[in-house]
Amino acid sequence: MLHIKDREIVIPGQLMGDNIRHDINCFHEKDKVYSSVHGMVRVEDNYVKIIPSTGWYMPKEGDLIIGVITEVLTGWWAVDIRVPNICSLRGEEMTRDPLNVDLSQYFNVGDVISAKILEVDEVNACHLTRPWKLEGGITVNVNPKRVPRVVGKKRSMLNIIKEKTGSKIIVGQNGWIWVKEGKTELAIRTIRKIEKEAQTHGLTDRITEMLEREVGK
Amino acid sequence: MEKPDMELIKDGKRLDGRRPDELREIKIEVGVLKRATGSAYVEWGKNKVLAAVYGPRELHPKFLRNPTKAVLRCIYNLAPFSVEDRKRPGPDRRSVEISKVSAEALSSVVMLERYPNAGIDVYIEILQADAGTRCVGLTAASVALADAGIPMKDIVAACAAGKISGEIVLDLMKEEDNYGESDLPIAVMSRKKDVVLLQMDGKLTREEFKKAYELAVNGATQVYEIQKAALLKSVNDVKIEG
Repeated sequence: MLHIKDREIVIPGQLMGDNIRHDINCFHEKDKVYSSVHGMVRVEDNYVKIIPSTGWYMPKEGDLIIGVITEVLTGWWAVDIRVPNICSLRGEEMTRDPLNVDLSQYFNVGDVISAKILEVDEVNACHLTRPWKLEGGITVNVNPKRVPRVVGKKRSMLNIIKEKTGSKIIVGQNGWIWVKEGKTELAIRTIRKIEKEAQTHGLTDRITEMLEREVGK
Repeated sequence: MEKPDMELIKDGKRLDGRRPDELREIKIEVGVLKRATGSAYVEWGKNKVLAAVYGPRELHPKFLRNPTKAVLRCIYNLAPFSVEDRKRPGPDRRSVEISKVSAEALSSVVMLERYPNAGIDVYIEILQADAGTRCVGLTAASVALADAGIPMKDIVAACAAGKISGEIVLDLMKEEDNYGESDLPIAVMSRKKDVVLLQMDGKLTREEFKKAYELAVNGATQVYEIQKAALLKSVNDVKIEG
């Protein structure tokens, strides 16, 4: 039995239903299911999930992220990807002999890279793979839980922004978005607007309208 | 110590015109600090409190790290200008104690096992104090934690009850706290009414304690409704531009 409606906003500890299935943002005590975060509920038959309104990024295998090199060490790099734990990039990703080569010729401290998360262990420390250096451009910081809204269903929102502003955009699941070329200022303003209005209805239409108006000026 | 006599209850009304079981006016704002992960500002009568949550983030010093769960640290700080006589800045015996009990109260609701090796920092800044600041601080901190998107089993709501002029009343203000007989701050998990903080100043008989306890839990329930309304408002009231 459900105690909430679809698209309702819930707060931590709110009762959502009895004998229903739920996602990681909820928890159950015996038959009762409660929410554990602040966000919007989506109901599908006997299954409830919560789309959190804010939150920290937790690393997940296979995610594309944007990181900053914080340290060049013997055989590996330490990368900041906005998680509370250590994140490493192995030297083997770039060279066959990482111990005898100066790794800073590939990536140096402060370089922005995009990479995929290869592995996350039980204490959330992670390893990266397939690094790609992002030269120039601007990195924008958005709330990681609002990234899906920036990308949109089947990348619809992102394609609209790319098309209208002519920018190159790489969206990291950790909430860092890299923007280069084209109308950078407009692209960033749009991303900020999406982040702010993430939990409103009909956002894609409003963004399309706004971009058309701004580009037409 | 002999306390000066003061008439705290006149014709069933308190100094500020409240009934014995009435709370002061509470106003909660969510997400006031841009750089914090989550934040809240609470005005509770003349109390003004700002709470901010940072993290989960890398925990330093390293030896405090726990590979099975996160560590929640809390710092309660009374601003030098928050009280009538200037308070010497920095931690003292009282604020260290309140920091400790607040951190323990919040640790019991936050799902710390989700963030191994990490640290969550909660800062409670008292900008203006008018009795019952630990309750206000906890109320603000739990709203800030919810705003930070940190998973919690429940929201902590706190409220105090006390005894003034021989009568049990809810939510003491400064004069009542100073000249009253007893003060009993309580923080509860709002859903199950589990107590996460309970302290007492002064003396109460067994019956008085029971009455004060029930009054304070009722007060906390009212506080919870205000917290809930503030959190829902923060999402529903997004201004749509253009």
